[in-house]
Amino acid sequence: MTKFGKLAVSAVALASAVAANSAVADTLEDVIARDTLIVGVKNDYPPYGYLNDAGETVGFEVELAKYVAKELLGSPDKIELVPVVAANRIQFLEAGRVDVIFATLGVTDQRDEVIDFTVHYVSAAGPSVLMPEATTVNSWEQLEGQPICGIQGSYYNKKMTEEFGINLVNFKNQADAYRALKDNRCIGFVFDDMTLQKKLEEADWSEYKIAVAPYEFLPMAGGLREDDPAFAEAVNNAIVKAEGEGKLIEWETEFGMPHSDYIAKRAEAAAAQN
Amino acid sequence: MFGLDYSWLADPAYQNWLVTGVINTLELAALSSSVAIFIGMLGALGLSLRVFWLDALIEFFVEVFRNTPPLLQMLFAYFTLSTLGLKTTDPVTGLEVPLLSAFACACISLSLFGGALAIEAFRSGLETMPKAITEAGRSLGYSRWARFWRIEVPIASRVCLPSLTNILTNLFKTTSQASVITVPELMYYAGQIYNDTFRTLEVMILILIIYVVLVSILSYGMSRLEAYLTLPGYGKGQ
Repeated sequence: MTKFGKLAVSAVALASAVAANSAVADTLEDVIARDTLIVGVKNDYPPYGYLNDAGETVGFEVELAKYVAKELLGSPDKIELVPVVAANRIQFLEAGRVDVIFATLGVTDQRDEVIDFTVHYVSAAGPSVLMPEATTVNSWEQLEGQPICGIQGSYYNKKMTEEFGINLVNFKNQADAYRALKDNRCIGFVFDDMTLQKKLEEADWSEYKIAVAPYEFLPMAGGLREDDPAFAEAVNNAIVKAEGEGKLIEWETEFGMPHSDYIAKRAEAAAAQN
Repeated sequence: MFGLDYSWLADPAYQNWLVTGVINTLELAALSSSVAIFIGMLGALGLSLRVFWLDALIEFFVEVFRNTPPLLQMLFAYFTLSTLGLKTTDPVTGLEVPLLSAFACACISLSLFGGALAIEAFRSGLETMPKAITEAGRSLGYSRWARFWRIEVPIASRVCLPSLTNILTNLFKTTSQASVITVPELMYYAGQIYNDTFRTLEVMILILIIYVVLVSILSYGMSRLEAYLTLPGYGKGQ
């Protein structure tokens, strides 16, 4: 084939890939044909998705993903778990590398413009601030102009800098941010409240506390590609079924999460529906 | 156009971030390039003295800083130096804080990395010097220092300008790694903007263009300098 011919063929291939992408997708068909559900999950985010001592990915959302796989394909093992992080999970979903993400995804309007959400299965606290025990700070307003460690790409960073006037010092990962807090490079670490609460249980963090409480609670949901109604319905039905069976409450217990009213109420409603 | 959505550029917060990012990138590049050139000249001068222990010292410096990734150097400077004792007490809070800020750490490691490369560039320039020229200088009674400053440097710096251009453009692009130690330069803000807006492609294209423009200005300036300094009969003077 001539050079030009090759170029033309790849251009056509690219164009048809783009065209296929914009048409209404049917992920459900693909998943059934493949006989495997590919799910993007966290693996560094207890209790939602993390590596246990045996090196297996476990957690609240991993259990949920397995439950969905069981509903769709008959077995919780017909699943491929792909580790994702906040900065790439939407891109993984959009690029078709995963069918669905269950990765501590908070429901926001901006995200809703590019993806679809499943039913909201958790109401998670937003960010809070971890600071040394001795601090007298207890409100967001008091942090104005102060250096606070954070994570690059967090959805609340703009609010922190523009609304609260915080001087954010943002790292790529949590380990660096914790280290910088101990080095006093910043006076606190703003991050997801659940994770910080868990951190406080560790022995080396006994001299720290949650100084500033979350300013919001955000529903969390799975992420789906837009315009994929059959798959969305199947996933939502599976989640509601798990709620109705009280599975989510069991997983809260299993992964050491405080029992939330939100999950209990949803379980009641789902059970009544079934 | 092409389905690209740049409406996020209308947000004053993002405009502000981009401008701050460009300024910080330029500051970091300008400062570390200047120090790198200075280190390069100093090192090449040291090597030209032909003192055994000084040679060994400079070679060691070059090997260490040229052969380690600048990213590693930055992380080392940022996280390790304060643990090793580079700390000071904050007069306001009375807490022990690291002496070097993130910007200082990035600047130091980029300067040392660029400096190590510049030493090699300047050295190669000095070594191409025909022996006859320095001997002519000696016979005319020039001192060692005068020979270096008035004969060797003017010729050698012209010879090594093209490789210096390479080093400086590389150094400019390496500033993007400073985002890892929280220096709020262009890449740092770019990442935050596309995480907020999910306009990854659009943000990447814009950042790419900004880098191309900035680095092109640098390399254009260097090629003008090269043309201006050219020796009759050599390179662009032919």
